[in-house]
Amino acid sequence: MGRFRRIMGSDHIAGWAFILPSVVLILLFGLFPIVWGFVLSLQKASLLNPVRPFIGLANYQAIPKDPLTRKAALNTVIYTMMFVPSSIVLALFVASALNRKIRLIRFYRLAVFIPVVASTIATGIMFLWLLDKEFGLANWALGTIGLGPFGFFADPSQALPSLVLMTVWGWLGFDTIVYLAALQGVPQELVEAAAMDGAGRWSTFRHVTLPLLSPATLLLVVWSTISALQLFDEVYFVTKGGPLDSTSVVVYRVFRLAFTSGVPAAGYAAAIAYVLFIVILLFTLAQFWLGNKVVHYQA
Amino acid sequence: MKHRALFAILVVMAMIGVACSGDDDGSSEPTGTTGTSGEPVEITLWHGYGQPGEVNGVENYEADSMKALIDEFNATHESIVVKNVFCCSNDNALQKVTVALQGGQQPDITYQYGTSLPQLANAPGVMDLTERVQDEDFAWDDFFAGSREAGTVDGRVLGVPALIDNLAIVYNEDLFAEANLDVPSADWTWEDFRAAAKALTDPAKKQYGFAFPADASEDTVWHYDAMLWQAGGDILNEDNTEALFNSEAGVKALDTLRDMAVTDQSVYLDLQNSKLDDLFNTGHVGMLITGPWALSGYPDVNYGVQILPSFDGSNHETIAGPDMWVLFDNDEARANAAWEFVKWFTAAQQVETDSMTTGHLPTRQSVLDTTGFIEAFGKKFPGNDVFAENLANVKKARPVLASYDQISQAMGKAIVSVLLGESESQAALDDAANEVNGILAVPQ
Repeated sequence: MGRFRRIMGSDHIAGWAFILPSVVLILLFGLFPIVWGFVLSLQKASLLNPVRPFIGLANYQAIPKDPLTRKAALNTVIYTMMFVPSSIVLALFVASALNRKIRLIRFYRLAVFIPVVASTIATGIMFLWLLDKEFGLANWALGTIGLGPFGFFADPSQALPSLVLMTVWGWLGFDTIVYLAALQGVPQELVEAAAMDGAGRWSTFRHVTLPLLSPATLLLVVWSTISALQLFDEVYFVTKGGPLDSTSVVVYRVFRLAFTSGVPAAGYAAAIAYVLFIVILLFTLAQFWLGNKVVHYQA
Repeated sequence: MKHRALFAILVVMAMIGVACSGDDDGSSEPTGTTGTSGEPVEITLWHGYGQPGEVNGVENYEADSMKALIDEFNATHESIVVKNVFCCSNDNALQKVTVALQGGQQPDITYQYGTSLPQLANAPGVMDLTERVQDEDFAWDDFFAGSREAGTVDGRVLGVPALIDNLAIVYNEDLFAEANLDVPSADWTWEDFRAAAKALTDPAKKQYGFAFPADASEDTVWHYDAMLWQAGGDILNEDNTEALFNSEAGVKALDTLRDMAVTDQSVYLDLQNSKLDDLFNTGHVGMLITGPWALSGYPDVNYGVQILPSFDGSNHETIAGPDMWVLFDNDEARANAAWEFVKWFTAAQQVETDSMTTGHLPTRQSVLDTTGFIEAFGKKFPGNDVFAENLANVKKARPVLASYDQISQAMGKAIVSVLLGESESQAALDDAANEVNGILAVPQ
């Protein structure tokens, strides 16, 4: 009796009891699909056909030989390399600008955050028209200062940068809010001490503020890299991978193969998704490992 | 930060869990497995017409007609109750059924694009209608040949035509009048079409003679298919073992488009296929090649409809996009009930009622031939009568193959790369043909 009560009364059991519903959901919606996806990746499978013979690692071996998947992988890497640095640097700049006491500051902060909550479809339609080659405001505005016209989404070589532009705009608010919170956690006495030691505004920012922001930066780098590697919504709604596959990314390729290709490619699509999963895992581990060497301050 | 994010994720997942379990409760209600006890058999029908009534101030006649006919059926057939469910947009119908099949939650009747049929051919429970359509009172041969062909996969009838469309010219009458041009006539050639497109193009006014869906999707490809067939070519050989579209006819068809897009610059290439209807409705485009479904999107312009031009002055062949009712065998009583409904719903009388309510082209020849139908139809839906008569210009169907989507993707890319001026017609089509031959060589 005493022993049972001790076990039941321990924090351990109570804790597990509290999270049990979540654990069940995670197992059901998280772990189960992960395991099922792996089994699928070893099969020649169509989602519409119950006959799914095992073919070992053939799906994985087919990946490097598939030009469309290679192109999608390359596009994803290029996109990530453009998206992550530009969104973070821009967010740092905007957050610094918003980290002051001026009139209407709440309005400015709200304005920066609104794109995050705007629906991707609305954002997509707006950018399609804004960046239209013939009818867009962007080309008109650039034209008045003698630039362009640009093809943007209509030009295979400009579509991917246009997509970066659109997604950076869409996610800037989130990064900014994270930086803004971190900036307000920077102890004022350190900034004052630096000023008393004769540091200028730039040196203070560079040598005091920036290092103190490094935990936030690490978080944003990891988070942005993961979401950039998983880019899908914007491609699906706005460019559909085009023109001429110039914006086809890995997850979009997986979707096309699994759901619309008409051939039993669901297993192959699952294999690509698994490779992406492993790449993201390794990237994240590497970033944390690297981050722990650079980040010295805990937020 | 991390914990809070985790917490948020858990809350969201819990909400999803609740939502899902709620769903299960809803669909696991007794659904009338047998008709013996006097209980009516309940069957579910999925369609993509939206909700009946007014949506954003526009009456949704398609959904109204669907509901009215289903209500009529339920009222006149005591042993069957058809549940009318708007499942999803038609673009997502295949995906939705694919997901439903994973959990055994498939409906009894579903609306599908004809091109999705080969993919559904191996789906568990999909009903083989080959024998049923031979019922004498069903009059299977009354459906247009092209749509019967599209409903048949490897000799098995898997779909009953639900809707049929075709492509024709839709033009802006005011822009033709402003430019002092004669509007398209039924004996136009592609030369006439090209000349008019050029004359209607005015960069200063941001006005284009023609707009083309260039997202490399099937929409791009079927526009080209009609021209390919007119020029005497075909997509694949008869056995579906080899690509034929890189023939002389294929190059001729693609060159015609390229001459307009690249040489004349008279074509607005809609690379995302999302803007051309709006541009036409705002008077920026003189001509489109599109189907009857699009007409309701042009309330702000005076438009006319004309059959496609020809290459040789006589062959005005077009292409049809038939959509299908696909049935699932969920048990014998439900399967029989589903067939009984589809048989009633696609009978001539119901087809005519639906056409006169919605403007859908009739799926049956006998309705088209009914005395006075075309006149009444054209009077109520101006322009749709031209599309209805244009059904006579439908001669061929696209290959009914599971790998069709991949073939279409290869062709779509070739077409778009030529229209963007990135490659020559012959080279682009040869590359695509090689790719397609590779796809066809893989046994399905």
